[in-house]
Amino acid sequence: MWNPYQELPSGTRRGLGIGSVSLVLVIWAVLSGLSLVAKAKLPAPWECVDAFILLAWDATRGESLLWLATKASVMRVLVAGVVVCLIGIPVGILMGASPKVNSALSPLVDPFRSAPIVAIQPVMVMWFGIDELSKILFLFLGAVVYLIPMVRDAMQAVPRTYYISARDLGASPWEAIRHAVIPMAMPRIADGVIVSISVMWTYITVAEYVNAKVGLGQLIANSKRMSSMPKVFVGIFVIVALALITYAGMTWLKKKLFPWEAT
Amino acid sequence: MSVSVELKGIGQSYPPPEEGGEMVEVVRDVNLTLGSGINMLLGPSGCGKSTLLKLMGGVRPYNVASPTAGEVLIDGEPCMGPHDDAVMVFQTYANRPDLSVRDNVALPFRFGLWKKRVPKAEQDQRVTEMLESVGLAEKAELMPAQLSGGQNQRVALARALVLRPRILLMDEPFGALDAQTREEMQHLLIKLYKQQPCLVVFVTHDVTEALLLGDRVLVLSTRPATIADDFEISEPRPRSQTWSRSTEATKMEERVLNQLHESSSGKGSVRVSI
Repeated sequence: MWNPYQELPSGTRRGLGIGSVSLVLVIWAVLSGLSLVAKAKLPAPWECVDAFILLAWDATRGESLLWLATKASVMRVLVAGVVVCLIGIPVGILMGASPKVNSALSPLVDPFRSAPIVAIQPVMVMWFGIDELSKILFLFLGAVVYLIPMVRDAMQAVPRTYYISARDLGASPWEAIRHAVIPMAMPRIADGVIVSISVMWTYITVAEYVNAKVGLGQLIANSKRMSSMPKVFVGIFVIVALALITYAGMTWLKKKLFPWEAT
Repeated sequence: MSVSVELKGIGQSYPPPEEGGEMVEVVRDVNLTLGSGINMLLGPSGCGKSTLLKLMGGVRPYNVASPTAGEVLIDGEPCMGPHDDAVMVFQTYANRPDLSVRDNVALPFRFGLWKKRVPKAEQDQRVTEMLESVGLAEKAELMPAQLSGGQNQRVALARALVLRPRILLMDEPFGALDAQTREEMQHLLIKLYKQQPCLVVFVTHDVTEALLLGDRVLVLSTRPATIADDFEISEPRPRSQTWSRSTEATKMEERVLNQLHESSSGKGSVRVSI
């Protein structure tokens, strides 16, 4: 049992995973079903299912609130994600390519990795208003401070031999970075993108806390205000599911793009 | 092809690893003139062989710090910058894992310098010929991960030689290969050298390898490295087993081993392969 390298049959692996999730569901059902915990604090699983169905299709209004909220949140993450990559990757590459650039920029970037980004949200609202811009900017800031250092570290992790070898073969400094260092750093840069996009899903609720007309974060905030715990739970579950899907998709894409990465 | 590398009073010291320590003197007053041929550089490990090797391609700031004393002359001209015609082959191949064998060999032609110097048609022709020479023509479309260590080293060698360098620096290139593959690579190097004679400097731990390949054998002392021995081998290559067992060869071997043992006084590692 205590062997980190043990190869489990897929049946065992799935069985254990499903088992632990089922156990939690059962405990949850018992606690809420027998009212061992107040309903207002912990809704029963079936109440959440009911809430999910209601949110998924509201017959009286003839629309799916959940779909609208999901669409809005996904769009925000998507737009912010594209901007994060467009800015974070080049900046990280420049920092990784030059210790001088790194020395100049790292004091501006690295501290924010452990800064309470959430506390910056009110500042963003003060500066950029309460509309879409400040939400996207907040998501962008929250993720880019992860991406930039990860891209930089990916560059620095490439063995120096690749750079020297390319220079020896006649490459200019930038050609050596372009043709030897960056291609080698790509898989780890992709890891950085995966982490920073995943981080965005954890920030989406905060981003949508203030004046969001629609969005999963707004759905949670509103439901909380109306003391509808089942809906809060649905919102959380949907965000978790979206984050998992994004993660799985990006991991799959990374394997497709960099099949050569050492396993 | 005539080419010469001259080291004049080269000394190299590195700043102390810890603050307040003493400068680490790696190389001391090395005077040496190398011409075309295979020059084998032997020495106990950590003696400064690599530093010396790097300097022989000219002082390239991305690879080796300027020597603290002396100068490097290439073809009689002081060379304190990277030299276009010197190429280094590493033990770790440095192949791009995302490129096919063919693209790996053709990699230097993506650089502006060689794009300008060599017309496209000739680039393709050179790459094809080179793959043929190193015996990888059939494997041109494979990826490095699908190759063995020896084949990967062939790719690295082909990538260097496709530029027809005048100076080829090899830093223990076959050190990571198993005995049989190493022998194959040694024969390949002999064949390639015949096709493209140039100034080769070949760093090795292996006395047998030095005697099998070298036109000239240079033995370094322990740190700070100085030239402890320097002799030539006139026996034509490929050298037969009979020659390897001759008194001439065994005497040379003893001479090198004694020198290495003397200078390293038991430290460092020296290998003799059969």
